[in-house]
Amino acid sequence: MTRRGAPWRYGGLGALIVVCLGLLVVAGHNILRVERQMQIAATENMTWIFGQTQIEALSLTAALSAGAEETEVQRRFDLLVSRLNLLRDGPQWRFLQEAGLAEGLTGWRDGLLARDPALGGDRAALLAHVTALSTALRGKSSRVMAREWQLQADRLDRLRQLHILALAAIFGALLSGAGLAALLVDRERRLARAARLQDDLDRERMASEGYRRFADLMAHQVRTPLAVIDSAMHRLTRPGTPPTPEEIGRKAQVSREAVARLVRLTDTAMLMARVDRGAVAPELATHDLDRIAAAALEEAAARPADAARLRLCPSNRPVPALCDPVLTHEILANLLGNALLYASSDGPIELCARRDGETALCDLRDPGPGMSPEDLHRAFDNFTRGARHRDLPGSGLGLPLARHLARLQGGDVTLLPQEDGGLIARLTLPKGAAA
Amino acid sequence: MKITTCLLRLLRVAVLALGASAASAEEVLLTLTGAVRDGQVTIARADLDAMEWREIATSTTVTDGQPLFRGVLMRDILAHAGAEGETVTAQALNDYVIDIPVRDFHDFDVIAALYMDGAALTPRDKGPVWIVYPRDDHGVLADIRYDMRWVWQLSALHVQ
Repeated sequence: MTRRGAPWRYGGLGALIVVCLGLLVVAGHNILRVERQMQIAATENMTWIFGQTQIEALSLTAALSAGAEETEVQRRFDLLVSRLNLLRDGPQWRFLQEAGLAEGLTGWRDGLLARDPALGGDRAALLAHVTALSTALRGKSSRVMAREWQLQADRLDRLRQLHILALAAIFGALLSGAGLAALLVDRERRLARAARLQDDLDRERMASEGYRRFADLMAHQVRTPLAVIDSAMHRLTRPGTPPTPEEIGRKAQVSREAVARLVRLTDTAMLMARVDRGAVAPELATHDLDRIAAAALEEAAARPADAARLRLCPSNRPVPALCDPVLTHEILANLLGNALLYASSDGPIELCARRDGETALCDLRDPGPGMSPEDLHRAFDNFTRGARHRDLPGSGLGLPLARHLARLQGGDVTLLPQEDGGLIARLTLPKGAAA
Repeated sequence: MKITTCLLRLLRVAVLALGASAASAEEVLLTLTGAVRDGQVTIARADLDAMEWREIATSTTVTDGQPLFRGVLMRDILAHAGAEGETVTAQALNDYVIDIPVRDFHDFDVIAALYMDGAALTPRDKGPVWIVYPRDDHGVLADIRYDMRWVWQLSALHVQ
């Protein structure tokens, strides 16, 4: 079963079907032809015509022998002549010629006409002639019948052969059709299996590529905070001048921030793993998206430097959204973390929740520098980091995780470039029931 | 030109004289019995001459080609005899007998032919009257069930 064999088999079976259908057409045509012939042959009915001729000859003989009246003899004479004339007509004459029985018939007729009683022919001579004609006809009649039956039998034979041919053609066409169908089904199954295998392979490749990137990322991201901590510890334990209390405090602060980054990195990776496993079940209810945004903002603004950059749009009324508050908080925390990390530090970062038709929105606007189209395109792939930020701390899981969590709740996270170069990260959620 | 015309005229006179000798205008060609006017109607050549004549070119089972037949519509003959029935039993000189549904004569232009290819039919051929169906105009007529109704040497019709 090589790939190259398939077209040949299709072609072969297709050709067989065409041949069979062709045979069917030929057989059908010939069957019709033979049937028509048989119909006409039945009406020729040579046996009957020949029998009629014999009867008229005998009737004339009887009339003459019984010394019948002139008109009766004349009627019988005319009838016999008409039968002999009939035998001389096209189809009948050909039949007799082909059967070798035509010979002499014309002579008999001419002899008869020469003794026409209407023209004063001699009755005795006529009787002798007709009697001889009767004998001659008797000798031929059985051969006419035999010939006719022979022809009928031949036609029946041909008809039977044609029927068999037609049946064989139908059977062949059916067989090849079945073969072709089986081949197609088999091919379809193979294609489906190949597609499935290809699909599995692609997923496997993507997964392994993802794990490789994750491993690289983790190595990089874990290494940096560890190096920070190591450096701090090294400074504190260095022989010589003991560190001042302020210095100890500063190093401790640096180390704690590094540890916090590590913890957040681990939390994100673990949550993503749970989302991937489908182990995160959102508890959906109507919550005020504005309040969740305020809480996320407050948490993100733990550092004074960050607090100065973050701003919450004043919202006059609640923004009801159908969501899980914990997951939504996680989404906004991720988006805020990204903005603080990647946005330029010379502008405010705004978080605005609002209603928009059937959805609840929360836009996070940062002042730039935005993302290149390529980065925008790949921003939601796992473990992808923007080309400019490879060295900044981050898992590459923040945006994908945020989108996953939003979609779990029937919403989405999208990135929209701003005209002045900044970026809008937009969380949309289904509108909740009005409070 | 003139000579030709004269010759043709002479020929025609000769043919007419021959025809008259073969069958006089008063000689009975057909006898209708059964459900006809007064129980019996005889039809002579003169009666047929008074009717509308038709021509049919058609193939037959006993001749080659498509001879041209000329005669009178069978339904006209039945109407002439005041026939009221559903079946006509046709009888030939040789006592050949067959039943023909009267419907045939209304469904098809069946004629009682007296001429084939311009020649008068005689008892020595299939005449004087041959029932001819327009076989080539209707596919259904090319069938033994109709072919056997082509009665030649027709002599009598019994209506019932």
